[in-house]
Amino acid sequence: MIKSAQPVISIDQFSMKFGDKTVIDNLSFEVKEGETFGFLGSNGSGKTTTMRALLGIYQPTLGTLHINGKEFTPEDGKMLGYLPEERGLYKKESVIDVMTYFGQLKGLGKQEAREWSMKYLERVQLADKAKSKVDKLSGGQQQKVQLGVTIMNDPKVLILDEPTKGFDPVNRRLLMDIIEQQRAKGATIMLITHDMSEVERLCDRLILLKDGNKAAYGTVPEVLAQFKKKNMDDVFLHVYGEDAVLQGGEE
Amino acid sequence: MASRHNLSTVVSFEFWRTVKKPSFWIATLSFPLLFAAVIGIVFYSSKSSSDTSDQLAKEKFSIVYQDESDVVLPQVAENLRAKSVANKEAAIEDVRSGDIDAFFYYPKNLSKESVEIYGKDDGLFNNGKYSAVAEQMLKISASATIDNPELIAVTQGTISTESTTYKENGEVSAGWFAAIPPLLFLVLFYLTIAMLGNNLLNSTVEEKENRVTEMILTTLNPTVLIVGKLLATFMAGIVQAVVMLSPAVAAYFLLGAESINLPNADILSQLTFDPTAMIIGALLMIGGMMLFTGTLIAVGAIMPTAKEAGQYFGLAILVMFVPFYIIMLILSDPSAPVVQAFTFFPYTAPVTALLRNAFGSLSVLDAAIVISTLIILGTIVIMLSVRLFRYGAMEYSGRLSLKTLRLKRK
Repeated sequence: MIKSAQPVISIDQFSMKFGDKTVIDNLSFEVKEGETFGFLGSNGSGKTTTMRALLGIYQPTLGTLHINGKEFTPEDGKMLGYLPEERGLYKKESVIDVMTYFGQLKGLGKQEAREWSMKYLERVQLADKAKSKVDKLSGGQQQKVQLGVTIMNDPKVLILDEPTKGFDPVNRRLLMDIIEQQRAKGATIMLITHDMSEVERLCDRLILLKDGNKAAYGTVPEVLAQFKKKNMDDVFLHVYGEDAVLQGGEE
Repeated sequence: MASRHNLSTVVSFEFWRTVKKPSFWIATLSFPLLFAAVIGIVFYSSKSSSDTSDQLAKEKFSIVYQDESDVVLPQVAENLRAKSVANKEAAIEDVRSGDIDAFFYYPKNLSKESVEIYGKDDGLFNNGKYSAVAEQMLKISASATIDNPELIAVTQGTISTESTTYKENGEVSAGWFAAIPPLLFLVLFYLTIAMLGNNLLNSTVEEKENRVTEMILTTLNPTVLIVGKLLATFMAGIVQAVVMLSPAVAAYFLLGAESINLPNADILSQLTFDPTAMIIGALLMIGGMMLFTGTLIAVGAIMPTAKEAGQYFGLAILVMFVPFYIIMLILSDPSAPVVQAFTFFPYTAPVTALLRNAFGSLSVLDAAIVISTLIILGTIVIMLSVRLFRYGAMEYSGRLSLKTLRLKRK
């Protein structure tokens, strides 16, 4: 549901170097309001680095990275839902305390955050675990809590970095429901993923990175047409080549 | 406004999660419990001693003595129901066989030879009664031969002295009474770092260990997080202090000052509060706390796990103790090069300067230099620690290197 052509995320001539190694080279793209945007690339292609630079965690070597027309600061976190690739929760605290804490940091009142958390936990069938410590939950249950923390402020911008990584099928389904729900509310969603079927199903547009450069950029049909392929998996293999896919890499 | 809301949220979250930990209460309660146990033992033993003394006074045990010094007066011995004997060996044999309880042998030259005491074994603690009675016989006899109460007081060591010393400017020196109040800042500094430092260190490493750093950094300014953690740690410290002091306060009111060796009101009224020394002491303590807490946060930000960070906490405590190895030199020769070095080296400065300030050997100029150094360096270290936290926290599986810090700076 693209509301307008107004970009919510704009990255302009962004370059990032770690020592002598150029991770991102002169990257520019935009994500429009209400759009679900796929940010694709193999391991080590610079996706997470771009996200960290966009969210003010890293200083870009060159270029500008804006959300809603300005550099992101933690004060803007109230309109953001971010599910990072490296994720976790305060393991020794109770589920409800952790959720309430993050809710408060995202601008909700304490009572409001607690009530929202309880409703969410009921929805994902974890209400009886509200007072359990996080480390007493299974991995899948922790993922559900993590998702709740990500969306509890009803974010206008949702950035999901490899959201299905390590998710079981049940939670994967829950995640898709949440993405659909947020899309319906008009949120702008940036999806960093390796799952090409998700991209085909969810994304309005996408960018495919290779060696820190833009290898493809456009709607799914445009990209498929550009590479004369039937699906995104084939496009990915075409861009990276099977050897590179087999070797992978570390970001 | 948002920052203030976030700060209070962080302080509340960090404070409650700290005080809800069983380890916090184990550490907090172990001190007063130990203190209460010691007080109990002291109270019981002093009561027992008092009871024992009374008992000894009333207790009748058979004593014989041989006095070659001619100091013991027969009537004194008689009052203590001691009988004179002539044969030392026979008396010892009587004690050994259990016919008599004790035999005291007073040699001819008491100033060069020891009084020999032989007694029936009555347990480790009760055996002391023999020497007590033997000494009492001598003291009472000696006092009886002196006709002057003052001389009796001198011989019995019951005289008191009162000293007045003057400073170079002619003012009366308050001595220990002036040194004690500024020394309280040293005690506070030590207790704060020793008891809360580890909490602070663990708390800083926790975000990284739990992989919540990125979520935190996108919702919260790292400075707010660090300040919030600091405030929460100090609040938890206040709770610890209240709990720890409560047995002493309770003992003071229930049992009296003497029971726990606390100074009475007369002594407290003699304490001298020199405003300059107190202000310098407070500033040295604040500067020292800034430097040490900033350093601990920085260590927490660099290290990947609480276990690794803990090793460096031990080092910080060691650095704090180092000046005590030269405490006699600090007190007797403050101008010695090593004392000067310890005074101006930032990590040994708080303790050394606080000691010198309390004992009046730290000039105002030196104090100003040390305080400025500590506060400026402390501020820099805290700012650096926020930066290190921001980037160190992203190094989930290893230590933050300077190279990484340089590349990721913002």
